[in-house]
Amino acid sequence: MYLQELQLQHFRNYPSADLELGPGINVLLGENAQGKTNLLEAIYVLALTRSHRTANDHDLVNWEAKTAKVSGRVVKSVGSVPLELTFSRQGKRAKVNHLEQARLSQYIGQLNVILFAPEDLAIVKGAPTVRRRFMDMEFGQMNPRYLYNLSQYRTLLKQRNRYLKDLQHKQNRDLLFLSVLTDQLAAYGAEIIAQRLRMLHKLEHWAQAIHAEISQQKEELTFHYATQVPEDQLTDPDTICAALTQLYKEHQDKELYRGTTLVGPHRDDLHFRVNGKNVQTFGSQGQQRTTALSVKLAEIDLMKEETGEYPVLLLDDVLSELDDARQTHLLKAIQDKVQTFITTTSLSGITRQLIKDPTIFHVANGTVVADGSAPSGDPATKED
Amino acid sequence: MQYPEPIAQLIDSYMKLPGIGQKSATRLAFFTIDMADDDVTAFSKALVSAKRDLHYCSICGNITESDPCAICADKTRDQSHVLVVEQAKDIMVMEKMKEYHGLYHVLHGVMSPIEGKGPEDLNITSLINRLQKNPDMKEVIIATNATPEGEATAMYLSRLIKPAGIKVTRLAHGLSVGSDIEYADEMTLFKAVEGRTEM
Repeated sequence: MYLQELQLQHFRNYPSADLELGPGINVLLGENAQGKTNLLEAIYVLALTRSHRTANDHDLVNWEAKTAKVSGRVVKSVGSVPLELTFSRQGKRAKVNHLEQARLSQYIGQLNVILFAPEDLAIVKGAPTVRRRFMDMEFGQMNPRYLYNLSQYRTLLKQRNRYLKDLQHKQNRDLLFLSVLTDQLAAYGAEIIAQRLRMLHKLEHWAQAIHAEISQQKEELTFHYATQVPEDQLTDPDTICAALTQLYKEHQDKELYRGTTLVGPHRDDLHFRVNGKNVQTFGSQGQQRTTALSVKLAEIDLMKEETGEYPVLLLDDVLSELDDARQTHLLKAIQDKVQTFITTTSLSGITRQLIKDPTIFHVANGTVVADGSAPSGDPATKED
Repeated sequence: MQYPEPIAQLIDSYMKLPGIGQKSATRLAFFTIDMADDDVTAFSKALVSAKRDLHYCSICGNITESDPCAICADKTRDQSHVLVVEQAKDIMVMEKMKEYHGLYHVLHGVMSPIEGKGPEDLNITSLINRLQKNPDMKEVIIATNATPEGEATAMYLSRLIKPAGIKVTRLAHGLSVGSDIEYADEMTLFKAVEGRTEM
């Protein structure tokens, strides 16, 4: 799928804008603080009805206006759909094909986007919770059963942790109920681990190819799912469940002493290895960036595999963080496949002949102008 | 400006009911003032009587005017089956089915440590006593809700009862009768496929 046109009205620092977008690579060129990321944000908002930068929808509305409107036309394999979102003090209204949607859940999914911003480096560099959230978000989006298992697991985990704390304080110890909670937790935990392994295997397959491409075949990326379950038992849910049950048995005294659950997918982690070494601890900055980028780009292929359409890719200020060779290979990897929006402060890094007909937009102080065409939209008065 | 004390007290009383906040309570209180005297008297009598004349059955935990309750006292019912439910109102639903003629047992909730409900807070001891006293008991049917807490409670009971050699069964999960598959959610469908039966 790709976004054919985009219109903005009173969105952030744009009084108005009307853009014809290219189906390939679109470059948003401009100085700092001119509105490049705001434009990416507009596309993200059009897809998901909420921003990745703020929880408050009213931040999206221009300071001098009361309502903001983002609209566009999405072209899919089955035809094209106009989308429209309006933000006002009364809330937001979403229209698909000019028809207002009663529920936002009916709207979301019309346009799929994947955003890659410098913050996404945390997938590689950050704490294990970031990677667990990454897995849960991505796999939950593609598989409703994963989401169900996850919510059941979370409820049971809360119950079990609470019961372990209760056992610490009480004289009377009913370990039978603890064993019931343990067995149920193990069953759902095993399902989650098995599904994570299956999806990670698919994601790894795509990420490996991209990583090899970007690193010019010099490096090999592998995923390692770090869990307390022994590696030889990471097969089907039943085997994992048996292994988890055994682990809970071994840790019971410690869990009773600590009053919390010490084993399960909520304590697992995902390690990215380049040539066999963990990138988080041993990788260079560049290797960490390449890894994060490969994983994000692999999501594109995974989404295509699971939903049948390529999403739209938004790259926020990513190029400046990569060396020339990596930039070239990144652009090669996405060319002709995915509609991409890239923000950058200069074209010098991008070898222009490599990109087939990039659509270039000059962004300056709340206006966007397509390369070689007359200015569109009114020049904005400076906001701050 | 404050409400006169009688109406303030009435609002406060209505607010003790589940799902009623200050605005609804105020609306109900003002409606009560405009009601006919007889209706108000009947209402207040019903409230008091529900509390004073109803007890929990000492055998099964059902709400009843007489102890034991009508179902426990009915000797023509099948004494070899007990159906375990979370709430007394679930018995009424089961009785509407008119197909089950065994006995009931009400747990008064499910185990949920988060809400401070452990095994000792449920009506479980009397269930075990009942099973021990009745040598004819063949089957315990557990009909707790299909929530994580309901499942945990079901599993707990089965582990408690099974060693005594009594059969323990659980209600089936799946499609509701007379409904279209296209309206079922993914998890219900998954459970239905998982629990499919041979024809």
